[in-house]
Amino acid sequence: MIEVEALTKRYGDFTAVKNLSFSVRPGEVLGLVGPNGAGKTSTLRCLAGIIPASSGRVTVAGHDLATDPVAAKRELAFFPDEPRLFEYLSVRQHLTFVARVYGVADYEKIAVPLLEELELSDKADVLPAELSRGMKQKLVIACGLLHSPKVMFFDEPLTGLDPLGIRRMKDSIMRRSKEGAAIVLSSHLLHLLQEVCTHVLILKKGEKVADGTLSDVAAKFSNGEANVSLEEIFIRATGGSET
Amino acid sequence: MTSALLYLRLTSLANLVMHRIRRLKQPKYVMGTVAAIAYFYFFVGRRFGQAMASSGPMMPATMSTFATMGICILLTVVGLLRLGFAWASPTATPGFRFSEAEIAFLFPAPIPRKTLIHYRLLSAQLAILFTSVLIAVVFNRSGFMGSNRVMRALGWWVILATFDLHLNGTNLLLHRLKETSPRYVMWRVLVVGGIILYAGAILWSVCSLVGNLATFADMSSGSMDRATDALAREPLFHWLTLPLSILFGPYAATSARGFAVAMVPALLLLVINYRWVLNTEARFEEGSIAIAEKRAAAKAAAQRGEIPRLSTAKQKERSGPFPLAPTGLPEVAFLWKNLLSMRSSVFSRRAFFILFGIVGGLSMSFGPMLARHSVSPNADVIRHMVVIMCAIVSGYTVFLGPQLARQDLRSDLPNADLLKTYPMEGWKLALGELLAPTVLLSVILWCAILISAILVDSSGEIEWLTTGVRLTFIVCLGFAAPLLCLIQLIVPNSIMVLFPSWYQSSRSRSAGIEMFGQRLIFGFVQMFFALTVVLPAVGFAALVFFCSKWLIGISPAVVLATLAIVPMLGGEVAVGLWFLGDRFEKFDLTAESR
Repeated sequence: MIEVEALTKRYGDFTAVKNLSFSVRPGEVLGLVGPNGAGKTSTLRCLAGIIPASSGRVTVAGHDLATDPVAAKRELAFFPDEPRLFEYLSVRQHLTFVARVYGVADYEKIAVPLLEELELSDKADVLPAELSRGMKQKLVIACGLLHSPKVMFFDEPLTGLDPLGIRRMKDSIMRRSKEGAAIVLSSHLLHLLQEVCTHVLILKKGEKVADGTLSDVAAKFSNGEANVSLEEIFIRATGGSET
Repeated sequence: MTSALLYLRLTSLANLVMHRIRRLKQPKYVMGTVAAIAYFYFFVGRRFGQAMASSGPMMPATMSTFATMGICILLTVVGLLRLGFAWASPTATPGFRFSEAEIAFLFPAPIPRKTLIHYRLLSAQLAILFTSVLIAVVFNRSGFMGSNRVMRALGWWVILATFDLHLNGTNLLLHRLKETSPRYVMWRVLVVGGIILYAGAILWSVCSLVGNLATFADMSSGSMDRATDALAREPLFHWLTLPLSILFGPYAATSARGFAVAMVPALLLLVINYRWVLNTEARFEEGSIAIAEKRAAAKAAAQRGEIPRLSTAKQKERSGPFPLAPTGLPEVAFLWKNLLSMRSSVFSRRAFFILFGIVGGLSMSFGPMLARHSVSPNADVIRHMVVIMCAIVSGYTVFLGPQLARQDLRSDLPNADLLKTYPMEGWKLALGELLAPTVLLSVILWCAILISAILVDSSGEIEWLTTGVRLTFIVCLGFAAPLLCLIQLIVPNSIMVLFPSWYQSSRSRSAGIEMFGQRLIFGFVQMFFALTVVLPAVGFAALVFFCSKWLIGISPAVVLATLAIVPMLGGEVAVGLWFLGDRFEKFDLTAESR
């Protein structure tokens, strides 16, 4: 569902992502981890078509993101860490707008249960200024899920959510993956990755240090020890320092 | 204590100047400074120098009595509206404009309440004086308002400072009444009624001036001045406007001696208002904190590239401008979204209230004159004035409109990441974003074209200007107007994606001569590109018109010229949209901050 080949992203002389390759199949959840400045957000933004890659190839649901971005974007949803909403559109109007952009004809059938699931039904007619940060995050999620994307990218999805919200978000991610969506999520919360992810990719200084299933990566860095935590694996893989 | 506060002001000022000097290391600030200095040298300083050096006055030493009275009446209308609004809709918590840091440090400090108010009121005078000097320099440049800038600046300062103090006093008094008087609402109703009566009495007097004007056969400045003098001698008008005469006295003075004489009662009025504010026992702390938070939030919003909200009123959901079907062209969704946001941010209820007040006041003032003149020989003069006004409005709409109607990519800059995930080609997204301001500016242009076409030469002196020709002009110009607006909007949006860091700094609310210069450069670039793109098409259309009108007549020639210009403008719009969309797809704001 997601194919990444030799992805590189440069900002002038600085290379944020170097020659990164991986793939995510339907039903898989890939956790993108790494120290601050490792290139996680740059990678996610390249995969979502927000910024162009300097070189390499990204395919989303069979569509090349560089040559056929519109078709690729029709299949994906990006959930940023900071909920950015249109100031003068109410919750309901956000969904109406997004439905038109993605051409979701029967969006109300999807929107109503979605708002209920995200506990936004009673806030349908309020503007973003009246929503808490967590509710704004939920609205961003509702907008992203409206067109039933096959591919989802989450950048720090749990930021700003309360414990119940975190539980619901984890359940939601796992349910979407069971329904066949390919998901990539970036987070510093290793327990989240342990609970939710089927695969993990560790980045350091823009380069891939390891990738595979959790057990594969654990085996690579456990040095034969049993029951090594993901936190320990992460520290060993990244050398325990930033970038 | 005073020395500490003085130290705070002076040190802050010195550091501000040093900061501005240090940031001149960056090219964008250097270029901005050069542009601003050049502007002030060529358009203000040089003329001022010439005026000072020449033996005779370059500009009239005084402006006409009619013009002075007109400006004073306009200021009175605005002032009374503002004051009436303060009494009709008082602020929940009145306060002064302290910064967040001043609140954090000075409010808990052992500083007497009156010292704090002194500090704030005196600090405000510096800003008011700067504004006054700016108004005097800018408005005196053309000579319309006389040559003595120092007198004018001080006159403006007296007016603005007294009104600012009076408004502060009113807000504090209202808060005190709310807390102590059981007849709070009654007081407010009485005062608002009094203001309306007072304004009505002045307007009634002014209408007699308009009546006098109408009796003159011509509308020369001499006739207007004589009518104004007659009005000023009316006992009712004289007594009604006595406080205003004192306030406007220094501004309206025509000699240095007259200015000095007028300053005495004006300063007395200012001191009375100052003492009133100082001695009104009302809490201002909560209000000051609220104002500081609001200003800090607005500043932060501007720095993020968002539109700052200055109102504390709770935002409410508004219904969409039209029903948006879930399927169809996605560009329409952007039109819908931006029209909705335009209505919410621009056309607030308060804006309508103010606009209604101004239009109502002007109608009451000048309505009788227009009614009398509509059947007199002066009717053509008034129609010509309206046509000229329409031409000015059209010019401003085309050249300044795109800077003001910003509900497009510029207002959506913080959402750039989200927009780029939408399954749309870049040019379609750009088109969608530009549709709302295009609609707004086009409607204004259409109205101006329609009014001009109806009123120009309505007496029928120009033979060839038949109803058919007028209709042809309306349809053809109306057809080209949206394309012209689109081109004008593509330019600032392209500047934003090409030079985001310049754009961001010009959007921030930071002040300074270099920021003024940066905005000048943006305006100049806008004008240059607009002329470069539009002039060839207009020239070609003019050529087609003049060559063909001898052969096929005026109306068909206008149609032919339109058929020539529309594809050219359309082609330029297409190229512009493709370029803007392409640049937006490659645009990465995070790269700019690295």
